[in-house]
Amino acid sequence: MAKKPAPAAPQPTTADVLREPAEVRYADQLEALRQNDADAPPANWRLSPRSVLLYVVGGKTLKATIGGKPTEVPITRKFFGDDGIVERAIVTLASERALLLVGEPGCGKSWLSEHLAAAVCGTSLLTIQGTAGTTEEHIKYSWNIARVIAEGPTPQNMIPSPTMVAMRAGGLLRFEELTRCVPDVQDSLVSILSDKAVAVPELPNDNMVFAKPGFNVIATANTRDQGVNELSAALKRRFNYVYIPIIGDQKTEVKLVQQRSAELLERYNLPAKLSPSVIELLATVFREIRNGKSTDGVSLKKPSTPMSTAEAIGVALDAALHSRFFGAGEVGPADIARNMVGAVVKEDQEDKVALKEYATLVAKKRAAKDKSWKDFHEALVEQL
Amino acid sequence: MAKAAAIADAGLDAAEVGRRVDAVLSDALYWFPVRHHSPNTARHVRAAIAARKPQVIFIEGPFEANHLVPHITDAATAPPVAIYSSYRDDANVLGLNGVASAAADIPARFAVWYPLVPYSPEYVAMKAAAETGAEVVFIDLPHHALIKPPGAGETQPPPEPSDDRLITTSGFYRHLAEAAGYKSWDEAWDSLFENPHDADHEAFRRELATFCCAARMTSDHAAEQLEGTVERERHFLKVIRETLAAKKLKPDQAMVVCGGFHLFLDRGDRAAPPPCPDGIVYTTVVPYSYFRISEMSGYGAGNRAPQFYQACYDLAMTGRAGDIAMDHAITVLRQVRRAGDPLSTADAIAITHHAGMLARLRGRTHPTLDDIHDALVTCCCKGNPAEEGTKLLAAMDVAGVGTRIGKVTAKLGRLPIVNDFHTQLSDLELGEVFGKEKKLALKLDKREPLAARRSAFLHRVAYVKVPFAAMTSGGGDFSGTLFREDWQLKWDPRTEPHLIEQNLYGDTIEAAALGRLREAMAKVGTHAGKTCEQLVEAVNMDMPDLVQSAADACGSAIDADPSFVSQAAALQHLGHLDQFAAFRGLRRDTLDDLLTRCYDRACFALPDAASAPEQEQPHVVDSLIAVAEVVQRGEKARFDRSLFAEAARTAAGVSTVPFLRGAFFGLLCEIRELPAEALAAEVSGLARAAPAVMVTAGDLLDGMLAVSRTSVMLGAEALVGAVDELLKAADWESFLVMLPRLRAAIERLGRSQKESLAGTVARRYGLGGHEDVTAMPGGLSATALVARLDAAVAATLKDWPL
Repeated sequence: MAKKPAPAAPQPTTADVLREPAEVRYADQLEALRQNDADAPPANWRLSPRSVLLYVVGGKTLKATIGGKPTEVPITRKFFGDDGIVERAIVTLASERALLLVGEPGCGKSWLSEHLAAAVCGTSLLTIQGTAGTTEEHIKYSWNIARVIAEGPTPQNMIPSPTMVAMRAGGLLRFEELTRCVPDVQDSLVSILSDKAVAVPELPNDNMVFAKPGFNVIATANTRDQGVNELSAALKRRFNYVYIPIIGDQKTEVKLVQQRSAELLERYNLPAKLSPSVIELLATVFREIRNGKSTDGVSLKKPSTPMSTAEAIGVALDAALHSRFFGAGEVGPADIARNMVGAVVKEDQEDKVALKEYATLVAKKRAAKDKSWKDFHEALVEQL
Repeated sequence: MAKAAAIADAGLDAAEVGRRVDAVLSDALYWFPVRHHSPNTARHVRAAIAARKPQVIFIEGPFEANHLVPHITDAATAPPVAIYSSYRDDANVLGLNGVASAAADIPARFAVWYPLVPYSPEYVAMKAAAETGAEVVFIDLPHHALIKPPGAGETQPPPEPSDDRLITTSGFYRHLAEAAGYKSWDEAWDSLFENPHDADHEAFRRELATFCCAARMTSDHAAEQLEGTVERERHFLKVIRETLAAKKLKPDQAMVVCGGFHLFLDRGDRAAPPPCPDGIVYTTVVPYSYFRISEMSGYGAGNRAPQFYQACYDLAMTGRAGDIAMDHAITVLRQVRRAGDPLSTADAIAITHHAGMLARLRGRTHPTLDDIHDALVTCCCKGNPAEEGTKLLAAMDVAGVGTRIGKVTAKLGRLPIVNDFHTQLSDLELGEVFGKEKKLALKLDKREPLAARRSAFLHRVAYVKVPFAAMTSGGGDFSGTLFREDWQLKWDPRTEPHLIEQNLYGDTIEAAALGRLREAMAKVGTHAGKTCEQLVEAVNMDMPDLVQSAADACGSAIDADPSFVSQAAALQHLGHLDQFAAFRGLRRDTLDDLLTRCYDRACFALPDAASAPEQEQPHVVDSLIAVAEVVQRGEKARFDRSLFAEAARTAAGVSTVPFLRGAFFGLLCEIRELPAEALAAEVSGLARAAPAVMVTAGDLLDGMLAVSRTSVMLGAEALVGAVDELLKAADWESFLVMLPRLRAAIERLGRSQKESLAGTVARRYGLGGHEDVTAMPGGLSATALVARLDAAVAATLKDWPL
């Protein structure tokens, strides 16, 4: 068996951190997987592809020694959806091509990207956030200007980008919202992905930085941005695209909202209660509006906003916050309704009509028979 | 590991499974388990036959088709082919005539197909037997021996036998699929048993036997019983016993090639299999296609990608098993390039690499079709597969299924009906279509003798539903051109199998069409419309012998059928024939008589349709329009116009359905028997009625406009006045009730009719023409006008309590 790489460098674990990166939050699980890994990981990977897969899809409990104590560590599911998507993503990361996760906003691209980076190379922090203002320097390297004026360009005066750090370590670079960057900037990735090197012409004696084995890129792009800054054909060829659909079935969506809401409530230290029936109602509303059809067969207008599961989780959290600070502490259907308008009506006021239609044609009918739907309907009508 | 866990999870004792497998595998008679259309199984069967050199090979094939084995293995036969076996119960021994057939005097018919591809283990075994001089004996129970009269409460026929179904519903398989994460049976099979690198046929045999043993021990016994598994296995054993005894062979001189599930049959079961019922049995071998095999289901089920598995077999047999993923990737990419997407060799390399890595990650020994498909999508689809990947997905389907079409040796001889089909194609100079993928567009002018013969032939072929010819326009039905017909001809892999199915009706296309026509005539009984439709078919198919008897049947049906809708349909069909009477040599007097009788019957039947239920009302309206057209088109002497008008008046008088009442009034207006003003009077009459009656005005108007638009529009002034009166009289609630049907009525009008009506409304309100309303004068005066209007509106709004 190949020698296992050393454990990841210690990461911030302080309780003052609002949101810990995946490698910190799930450090026990990653360590348990490392200790139980029966396959050889590819060069500079911390886990074998099979263990990375298990980390993301979960479903097993492993025995491990954590902090010197033998313990059983359940590996939880991080990504809800088709496991085949995760398999394809992992295999791409082990191949010559880079990975581009595409899908509607809120489908879990960044979430999956973070977990893959955490499991593969031990850090999810080598990240570039793509924006219209991203420059080539952000992708390659920049200089400490004061020192360059004083000493000229030297390797010590260079400020490496996350890309360069990942290349030197054989790690993964995360490039969020790649298609928000202008094409010229995007194209600076072409040579990095094909040559696996960055040229530094300012340093005549040290003018190339080569990537170590294991280096790769996970980019994300949302389908709503397509056509804004579409990737060039050359760059497209260097990426394998993995499309992440919005979760297909109600049961999985409810499970995901439940798990993520519980995690968020814990993170925000919120004692508010979110009952399974309220989560089910929330998931039902989102699902029906997203599909443009209720389970009773009523056709509905589809809003322009993507009604993703992430949005539903956001509504659940907002409702919990509202309930904690302005309510009785228990999230009810009315709290959900009060936060629906903000989630659905964003750019287009027409979306308000969609929500009103849902309230009138679907929620009202159910309100006659069900108390939860009655509370939801009344609060929604009041908001509208 | 997953298999061992599944055996335990299914509640099985692994040691007991092992004992049973050992017992079967050590039997003196050598049993080799197979799955239909499995290339890897075929490879191993071939190796086993070469190693053992048995004198007889028993194969799970239709016993009644044993005489066809030499034709299947003939050098001139090239799979895909299918064994076709049909049974016709002329003497009604099963008591299913009239139950499984259209009428008690029509025999029940049953047919089964057994497709074979070049890599079917059964076909490979037959070929290997031919090479080694072994005799092949089919052992499966003839399909018609399993046909049973449906018992009380049974409405569905039993499913066709399927080993795959029995395996996938077993407890063992369900546990295995869950533990290993298989999404489909095909994925499971390919993962477990399609490793093209396996060289040890004995190890394969044991592996598959163990799998099938565990499946059989946890299978659904009720499903086995329903599918006749035990009866079939009794037949296996009987044929094997009798053959070995007759040939004085020891069991170890023979070999059995059958579905793995049957390896674990009850060897001690000496009960006789069910007898075959008397009847006409016909078996033959026909060319088949990969496309059709990919669609098949049930027994003899095809596979999801016949061409892909063909490549698997060919490459494994030539020592290139490692190239399967690459070969398929290249085939798909070639197909995508044809569709216009520029995918390169680098993509093929990436796909191959990716498929291999996916297979390893998924714990497989080799990349399966699922891995290759996932790799194709990952490496080549730049976005959502449902949107950006449509060309790729289509190419994957085409490359997987393939276009191969089989051939059958000429030594077998063609069925007379197939021969007749080909002879006629040749005589009619249409032979070029056969065997080609290309469509042929054919324009026929039936006044030319060759075109008339072609038309009759194509109508017959279309009538017996052989997928070959489709009329795209003409025949007086579509284009109004009496003698012209446009056809589209395309040979289809299903053409020959369908022809063969028609042999049950006769030995020639004409005879089959005649048989089907007679059957259809019997089925339609005294329905005048459908009977006359069959007469039209008889004329189109140029069947003079049948025309007279069909005409007689039409006369009886017309006399017996009390339905207005049916009579109207009959009248339309007869009217169509009337146009061709001289050309087709139809007897004018017979046709005239039928037309007159039909018209009269339709008129007398009309009042009975006056209060038809809602679902029949559209048919009544269509029929009214059809009869009205005949009245307006026909000679005065032939059709008594006043009879129809009188019938419509009576119907309007007795109708309790406002919509139909409106339709009858509209019809009278259309045939100029009632002025448009009378219709307006009907509407305004409702304006003075009680609200409960008034609300039916929308339906009344809708009915009027359903049958008469042009004539009604001639009296638009009066009608608008009546509607105006109605709307003024209606309170808000009544208006809301009337609104949907009023809208529906107006929607029936064409654009120009609506504009004309709007103009009438505008004039009624003193607005002149619509141009005056829409034209906006420009310049200073217009600005001043707008400013004055603004000021007036502002002054008014000021007083409003806003």
